Amino acid sequence: MRHLHTPTPGSSHPVTSLDARVKLLTALALLVMVVSHGGVLFPLLVAMAGSALCLAIGVRPRLLLLRFAEPLLLAVIVLLLKSFFSGSEPLWHASPGGIDMTLHRDGLLEGVRIAVRIAGAVAVVAAVGFATPFTELLAALAWLRVPRGLIEVTIFAWRYLFVLADDAQVIHAAQRNRLGYVGLRRGIRSFGTLAGALVIKAFDSSQTMTTAMVQRGYDGTLPLLAHRPLRTAEVLPAATMVFLMGALWRL
Amino acid sequence: MGNAPLPQSRRCTPGRVLATIPKELDSGGCPQGEVKGRIKKSCSLWFILGTLLFSAPLPAYAMHISEGILPLPWAALWFAVAALFVVTGVRQLNRLARQDLAMKPLVGLLAAVVFIISCMPIPVPTAGTCSHPCGTGIAAILVGPLVSVVISTVALLIQALVMAHGGLSTLGADIVSMGVVGSFAGYFAFRLLRFAGAGLGASAFAAGVVTDWATYMTTSFELASGIRGSEPFWPLATNIMLAFVPTQLLLGVLEGAMTAGMVTLLARKRPDLLIKMKLLTPGEATGRA
Repeated sequence: MRHLHTPTPGSSHPVTSLDARVKLLTALALLVMVVSHGGVLFPLLVAMAGSALCLAIGVRPRLLLLRFAEPLLLAVIVLLLKSFFSGSEPLWHASPGGIDMTLHRDGLLEGVRIAVRIAGAVAVVAAVGFATPFTELLAALAWLRVPRGLIEVTIFAWRYLFVLADDAQVIHAAQRNRLGYVGLRRGIRSFGTLAGALVIKAFDSSQTMTTAMVQRGYDGTLPLLAHRPLRTAEVLPAATMVFLMGALWRL
Repeated sequence: MGNAPLPQSRRCTPGRVLATIPKELDSGGCPQGEVKGRIKKSCSLWFILGTLLFSAPLPAYAMHISEGILPLPWAALWFAVAALFVVTGVRQLNRLARQDLAMKPLVGLLAAVVFIISCMPIPVPTAGTCSHPCGTGIAAILVGPLVSVVISTVALLIQALVMAHGGLSTLGADIVSMGVVGSFAGYFAFRLLRFAGAGLGASAFAAGVVTDWATYMTTSFELASGIRGSEPFWPLATNIMLAFVPTQLLLGVLEGAMTAGMVTLLARKRPDLLIKMKLLTPGEATGRA
């Protein structure tokens, strides 16, 4: 949840003021290139470029590390799994404590390939996530013909996420102060109570919210952000970059 | 009480586990035989800690398949399967929203609850680490499996875009495992047990357990399909599934207990909500009161 409480940096970097649709389409194109690439260099290049962009728009390195920590940990695990448990060409062998461990060359290469693919893809999504407010991304998704019902529900969820998270923290703190999480059995019971209380709050808040919205003319559909026409000055550099990356991808 | 050491189950991150190493390995001032014994013990400890460090985070963080793991053909296949269910779910939601205007806000808020629940760590004593529940079991029980797919999609989309938990390229696979398989398995387990005459708490417990285990089994298959390369599929899928077992076997039970706790709390405090969602009849609610 720490990620959520850090707003997109109010940076003056030109990428942050780009149209969300342009950023999303560019990111999706890069994502397709990264996951469909069979080599190491291209995803690595994208990972480095994405990370550099995040730092350039003012994301703190600590936050960036936090964002990358989980996927990179998974990348390391996949690398180890592939190196030791798959492949046929032995590269290194040891028997610590009588346990045979063989590092395979082909397994290691495959592991590295997957690991850099993860790093590249995460860097792309992190860059677009840091450079674009979430509500603008949702509007861009709506423009891409993602079902409107899904977008509306996501807007409701995003709007109330922080309210419910605050409530959850208050309840959790109160439970902890009363030793509600001492011992597994009590902990599970407390957690069940906490989750149940959140569900009750969700029901009650949805009723209150609907009443308030109906009084303001809500008829079952939410107005979404209106898009201005796409500008050539925004589309052209993005398209050029995608074509350049496409050329690199083919290499 | 406030200064008492944390129980093992509370030391949930690998970092915290590692922080205890120096104390455990300190053998100063002991007789030689005892030192040898301690060295043996230390070696075993290192082995266990190493195993924990490399194996425990896998289940702890692998509820969703990470961005970029799946190659394009597999990502596209899972995306197509997920899209089918999401579109059907949205259609059902729109139908329900025409009858009750509060339905979309309710589903949005339930998605926020599922998001928060799936961000909360649950200590797993068998692995000395933390994992987190799916939360889709309760959503499927309350609003049905198809709308629960929509709820999972929303929670997964937010997690992918703002937390790098899961991903856009793996969104389809994550929706299929957590949203589709988890929701349907949990919903049918709940309904089957209720039909067989089981109590509300017991049925919710089973739904939580089945949701969790079904989600992880599907995740194992998806993961194996994505990373196998030229290796045979089944041995890898079985290995990944076995890697999940130490934590997920217990975590499923914990999620079941949590789901049962939630439903019994609702039945005790707000039976009107369960009547509205057709989980209880007014007669049953009066009987419980």
